[in-house]
Amino acid sequence: MKFLALALILAATTPFVAGAQETGLTDEQILLKRVMEDKRSVYAASLALSDPESRAFWPIYDEYEAKVKTLDDRFLNLVNHFAAEYDTLSDAEAADMLKEKMDIEKERMALKQSYTRRIAKAIPPKKALRYAQVETRIENIVRRDVYSLIPLAH
Amino acid sequence: MNKTFVALATLTACAVAGPLAAQSINAEDQALLSQIQTDKRAIVLKGLQLTDSESAAFIPIYDEYEAERKQLADRTIALLDKFAANYDSMTDDAARGILKDWVSLEDSRLDLTKKYAKRFEKVLSAPKVLRFVQIENKLDTAVEMEAVRIVPLAKP
Repeated sequence: MKFLALALILAATTPFVAGAQETGLTDEQILLKRVMEDKRSVYAASLALSDPESRAFWPIYDEYEAKVKTLDDRFLNLVNHFAAEYDTLSDAEAADMLKEKMDIEKERMALKQSYTRRIAKAIPPKKALRYAQVETRIENIVRRDVYSLIPLAH
Repeated sequence: MNKTFVALATLTACAVAGPLAAQSINAEDQALLSQIQTDKRAIVLKGLQLTDSESAAFIPIYDEYEAERKQLADRTIALLDKFAANYDSMTDDAARGILKDWVSLEDSRLDLTKKYAKRFEKVLSAPKVLRFVQIENKLDTAVEMEAVRIVPLAKP
């Protein structure tokens, strides 16, 4: 199982993680890491914010990313737990993991929605809509890569 | 705006949600959607490796789940139509409305998965339900990636 690689890619795709190791990563994973590190510049280029808009947007964005990081940490713990129990996963453990996964997704969505609403009040709604579209594209790329590394439960 | 993306995105967005209402797409696309839906069902069932008794319990609930997903697909179509209609001259109010609908749609999708995961847990082992959710997540992500790739970003 590629859980070590998964842990590395999760660390690499999580903002504010210092010094994530690149040893053992595939070219694709290294590329993804660099894409995520460049997420801010993607938004900067895509949203074309004026100076006042930038001053309003970036503090909210940074606050959002910091809160998402705590959910990423919970997801990483969940994946590590899944890896540890993979070969002998009981009904009770699987049910707990499923609940934790759903809880994390619900909290992540609530966070994203709450901050998108805040962003829509801080910058023009059209740009907030564009922000939400870009965020969704990035989320999907990360999800695809992470899901591809997690084996299906027995 | 070129409306082709609407048809493509609609087709893609609904590929996991069952055939669309006939008036939404043409007969050729309808046939394609039916095929995609059939394929998805086969992928899910093959991936779950159910026994005969598990299949007998699971499939009726799964079909209900897919029927409810079709309702979400209809809302997705309405949202894409709204986006397309406003694309070239998007007002602040229209953008706010689209964001609101989008948020509501995301909530509904997650609520639906949670609701049916609980129902599936009553007829399947928890590891198999976990496996089902994993398969759904992979398929949904693949489809959504294609859909969002086709839909252009709002003009800044």
